[in-house]
Amino acid sequence: MTRIRFDHRPFSRATRALVAGLGLVLLSSCKLADIFDLSGNQSTMLTAGPVAKAQWDLFMVTVYVCTFIFIVVGAILAYAQIKFRARSESDEHAEPPPEAHGNPFVEIGLIAASVALLVIIAIPTLRDIWYTHDVPEDEKGNAMEVVATGYQWWFKFEYPTELVKLPNGGEAPLVTGNELVVPAGTPIRVQLRTIDVIHSFWVPKLAGKVDMMPNRANFLWFKADKPGYYYGQCAEFCGESHAIMRFRVIALSPREYSQWLENQKSPARTVTPALLASAVDRSAHVQFAAMKLNPGEALAASPAFDADPLNAWREMQHPEAGEDAPLIAQGRQLFSAKTCVSCHSIRGHEGVGISGPDLTRVGARSTIAAGVLENTHERMHAWIKNPNHFKPGNKMWFGGYNVKDGDNWKPNFTMNDQEINALVAYLHSLK
Amino acid sequence: MAEVIAQSGFTGKQTAQPATTFALFPRPTAKTGIVSWLTTVDHKKIGMLYGGFAILFFLIGGIEALMIRTQLMVPNNRFISAQLYSELFTMHGTTMIFLAVMPLNAAFFNLLIPIQVGARDVAFPRLNSFSLWVWVVGAILLNVGWISHFVPSWNFGGAPDVGWFGYAPLTSKSFTPDLSTDFWVLGIQVLGISSIVASLNFIVTIINLRAPGLTMMRLPVFTWMALVTSFLLVLALPAIAIALIMVMFDRNFGTNFFEVSGGGQPILWQHLFWVFGHPEVYILILPPMGYVSEILPTFARKPLFGYPIVVFSGVAIGFIGFGVWSHHMFTTGLGTVATAAFALATMAIAVPTGVKVFNWIGTLWGGRIVTRVPMMFALGFIWMFMMGGLSGIMHSAAPADAQQQDSYFVIAHFHYVLIGGATFALLAAIHFWFPKFFGRMVPEFWGKVSFWIIFVGFNATFFPMHFLGLNGMPRRTWTYDSNMGWNEGNLFATYGAYLLGLGIFTYFAVLVWAYFKGEKCGNDPWDARTLEWSIPSPPPEHNFAAIPTVHARDAWWYEKTHKEEIAQEKAAHIKAEESHGGIHMPDQSWYPLFAAIGLLVGAYNFAQLHYPVTMFGQQVLASHLPLAITGLGLMVAACYLWALEGPGGYHLHIDAEGKVTESRGDHH
Repeated sequence: MTRIRFDHRPFSRATRALVAGLGLVLLSSCKLADIFDLSGNQSTMLTAGPVAKAQWDLFMVTVYVCTFIFIVVGAILAYAQIKFRARSESDEHAEPPPEAHGNPFVEIGLIAASVALLVIIAIPTLRDIWYTHDVPEDEKGNAMEVVATGYQWWFKFEYPTELVKLPNGGEAPLVTGNELVVPAGTPIRVQLRTIDVIHSFWVPKLAGKVDMMPNRANFLWFKADKPGYYYGQCAEFCGESHAIMRFRVIALSPREYSQWLENQKSPARTVTPALLASAVDRSAHVQFAAMKLNPGEALAASPAFDADPLNAWREMQHPEAGEDAPLIAQGRQLFSAKTCVSCHSIRGHEGVGISGPDLTRVGARSTIAAGVLENTHERMHAWIKNPNHFKPGNKMWFGGYNVKDGDNWKPNFTMNDQEINALVAYLHSLK
Repeated sequence: MAEVIAQSGFTGKQTAQPATTFALFPRPTAKTGIVSWLTTVDHKKIGMLYGGFAILFFLIGGIEALMIRTQLMVPNNRFISAQLYSELFTMHGTTMIFLAVMPLNAAFFNLLIPIQVGARDVAFPRLNSFSLWVWVVGAILLNVGWISHFVPSWNFGGAPDVGWFGYAPLTSKSFTPDLSTDFWVLGIQVLGISSIVASLNFIVTIINLRAPGLTMMRLPVFTWMALVTSFLLVLALPAIAIALIMVMFDRNFGTNFFEVSGGGQPILWQHLFWVFGHPEVYILILPPMGYVSEILPTFARKPLFGYPIVVFSGVAIGFIGFGVWSHHMFTTGLGTVATAAFALATMAIAVPTGVKVFNWIGTLWGGRIVTRVPMMFALGFIWMFMMGGLSGIMHSAAPADAQQQDSYFVIAHFHYVLIGGATFALLAAIHFWFPKFFGRMVPEFWGKVSFWIIFVGFNATFFPMHFLGLNGMPRRTWTYDSNMGWNEGNLFATYGAYLLGLGIFTYFAVLVWAYFKGEKCGNDPWDARTLEWSIPSPPPEHNFAAIPTVHARDAWWYEKTHKEEIAQEKAAHIKAEESHGGIHMPDQSWYPLFAAIGLLVGAYNFAQLHYPVTMFGQQVLASHLPLAITGLGLMVAACYLWALEGPGGYHLHIDAEGKVTESRGDHH
C-alpha cells in the first residue's frame, strides 16, 4: 500500500497572520454593525402590536434554546477537534485507537435532553398558535373588519361597515388603495382575498404574514398599540413585479381616524376658483423631464418624509398651496380623454373602472404605485410618464397605455409633459 | 490480487461478437471513445457522466446566483430586468436541486453502491443507462427556454419564471401564457421518471446484490442512506408527478384542478408539491450525511460511533419526513389544529437529526483526527449543518415562522442546510473519492486554500441574510428601496457571494489540474475502511477479481487486519467463479439512449402541442401532435427492441499473472 505524504501544516505562521490581518481590515472597513441592525421599516423586532410582539417573543425563546444547544454542542465539538487532533506525522500513523462502537446510555441521554429542550419551545408555540390566529374572545366586541384584496401588483382595502353614498343613490363600502388607515388600539380583523394569483399580506411590525389564497377565506388580525406609519409588502411571489407590490398601514388615534373617515366618505374634492387661497403663478410649475433622486435617497420617501412619516402623511391630507384651477380642470378632462376612467374611479367625478386602485383621494396618499414612489408632483409625473420603468409588466402599461394588436402591443394614446403636469395637478388636488 | 489486475496488460480492446437474439445492428462493444460512453452500462462510467453533467449545471446555477447577488448589491438597481430576475431565481433553485445536488448524489450512488456491496454492477445495467439519458433529457427541457433570449424566433417566453415550487395559479395559462411553464412542467416530470427508475435500480441492487456475509447491519452507512433516499424518491415523486399532470391538463386540455375561475383549489397544488417537496429536502441531505459518516471514521481512525442509531435515525428521518410537509405552508391559513400538529411533527424530526450530529461528535471523540481536505469539509459540514438545523427548529415555532416564512431568514436557513450541509459534504466526497476513480491525489495545499475561501465566502454571503430576513426583506425580491435598512447587508452578502464563487472556481480548477498532473496513488491512500478501497484506483471494469466475503461492518478494515484468512478465501472464490465460466459482465446497448432520444422528441413537441409547426417562416403543421406521437413511437420502439436484444453479456478470465481475457459463449 502506498501512502501519500502531506505537509502537516500547509500554511506558514506568516501566511495565517497576513490573511487574518487582511480579513480584520476588510471587516472593519465595512459598516459591520449596520448588517446586524434590526431597526428597519419592516423590522420584525421593533414590534408595534401584540401579535407581532407575541411572534417576536416566541422567536426569542427559540433563539435562546438554539443558542444554548449551539454553544454546548459546539463547545464539545470544538474541544474534540482540538484535543484529538493528530499533531505529528507519527501521530497520524500511530496504531488506531481501540475500536469502539457507541454507548447506549449516552445516546438515550442525549435523545431525552433534546426532547426536553424542544418541549420548552413547543409550549409557547402551541399557546401562540391559538393567540395569533384570531382576535381573542374578550376583544371581539370592539374589533373592526376590513377586507384586503391582492391584485397584480397592488392592494385594495375595503371597509365593509363604512358605507358611502354613490352618485346614483346606492350605497357601497368605502374603498381605498395601497394605504390602509385604521384606528390604533382597536383589534383589526383583515379578511384576505385575491383577484388573481396568491399574494401575502405582511406588515412585519404589526403581524406576521398570512397568504391571500384564491378560493379560501383567509384572515389575520393585528392591533397597533399607538398611532404610526407602518410598511408592508407582498410576501408571496406573484409574478414579474412582486418585489414592488408594497403598501402602508397608517394607525391613527380614534378621534383622528373618525375625522379621516368623515373626509373619505364625502365625494371627491373639486377645486373651483373660489376655493383658491392665493393667486396662481403658472411659472411655478416645473416641467418634469426626468425624476431627480439624490444619491442614497429612497424612491418611496425623501429624507424629510422619513424623519417623521406619520406627520408627513398628515401633511398630505391638506390641500396644497398654490393650486392652479384651470390646470386642474384640464387634468380632470384628460383623466377621461386618456381612458384613465376605464380602470380607475374618482367617486363624485368621473370614472367607473374597478380594475385599478380607486383614486378618489389619491392626493392624500403618501405613496403611489403601490408604495413604490413618494407621492410628490415630480415622482407622480415620472410614474405617469413611464409606469413600466417603476413596475415592469404592470396592467396600466400593458392594457391601458398600450393595447394588444394581434401578438404585439401598440400605443393606445400619446401624452406630452404638459398634459402629464395637468393630470398630476388634478390628482394632487384630490385630498 | 487487485493490484495484479491493475498492472495487467488488459486494455479492454479484445472484442468478440455478441450473442444475438434480435438486433437491428451489431451490439456496441467499444471500450473507449465516444461510443463507449454513449452506450455504456458500466456503473462507474455512468457515475462519471452524472458527475460531469452535475458539476456543469452546478457552475451554471452558481453563475445564476452571482447575477442575482449582483442585482441585489445596491438598492433600486436595474442591472437585470424583473422578468429575467424571475427566470434566474427559478432556474437557480431548479438547477441546484434537480440538476446539481441530486445528480451529484446519483453520481456517488452509481460509483459507490455496487462496490460497497461487493457487486460488479447494478442490478439492471441498461436501465441505469436509461436513467442517465432520461435525466439529460429533463435537463435539456428545463433549460431550452434560455434560447429565446438569444434567438427571438424561438419564442418560448424565456426560461421558466414561476419559482422553483411553481405555485398555482401563477402557473395557469392566464398568468403565464408562454411556453416556459410547459417546458418546466415536462422537464420536472421527465427528471422524476429518471429518478424513480434509478431508485428502483439501487433498491434492488442494495437488497439483492450484497456480497456473502454483508448483512443489512453491516452495510456502510453511505449505502444505508442511499437506500433510504431511494425509497423516499420512489414514494415522494408520484405526488409531484400527479400534480404536474394536473397542471399540464389545466394548461392544455381545459381541466380545472387549479383554475380558480372553474372552482379549482390552488392550495391543493401546495399540498401535493410539498408532500414531494419535503421528502425532497431529505433526498438532498441524507446522502451527504452518508458521505460524512464515511469520511469522519476514516480520518478519526475510529469506527462510526453508534452505527445502529445513525442508521436508525436516518430511517426515522425518512419516515417522519413524510409527515411534516405543511410546515412549508404555515402562512396559508391551515387553521390552528393542523398548524399545531405540523409544528410538533417538525420539532420531532429535529431529534433524529440531532442524534446524527451527536454520533459524529462521538466518532471524533478519542480518535486521532487527521485534518486532510475531505475531513475539513466534513467538519465544516457539521458546523454549518448545525447552524442550518437550529434555524430550522426556529421555523417549527409556527407563529414565529409567520414572520420568517418567505423572508431572507428562510433563504439563510436553507442555504446553510444545502450549501453548508449538502454541498460541503459533496465537496468533501469529491475530494475523498477522486483518487479512487482517477488514480490521482488532489493537491492538499490548494484543497485547503479552496476550503477556506469557500468557508469564509459562504458565511459572509448567508449569515447576514438571517438579519435581512428579521429586518423584513422578503425573498424573490427583484429590487428594494434604500430606506429599508437592507443596503449594508445586501452589499456584504454580494461581496461574500463573489468570494464564494472564487472558492468554488478554485476548488474545481484544482480538480482539473489534479486530473492531469496529480500525484498517482495506490488503492487505499487514506487508510480507509470500506470495500471500494480494497480494489485498484481507478477500479477495473469488473470491480472485484474475487467477490469479497464480508466479515465485519468496516469490511476493508477487517481485511487489512486479517490478511491471510482473506487471501485464502479470495483464491477459493476466484477458482469457483472460473469453474462457472469466469466473471460475467453485462453488454453495452444503444437502446437506452435511443429510448431517451424518443422521449426528448416527444416531450419537446408535447410541450408546444397547440402551436403550429413552422419552418423558415412557413407553417408546416397545424399542431405539434404528430411530432409528439412520433417521439413517443420512437421511445416505445426502442424499449421493444431493447427487450428483444436480450441482456447479452460476456465473461472475463483472470489468469495466474492477473492477465484478463474476454470470452463470449455459452455460459450465460
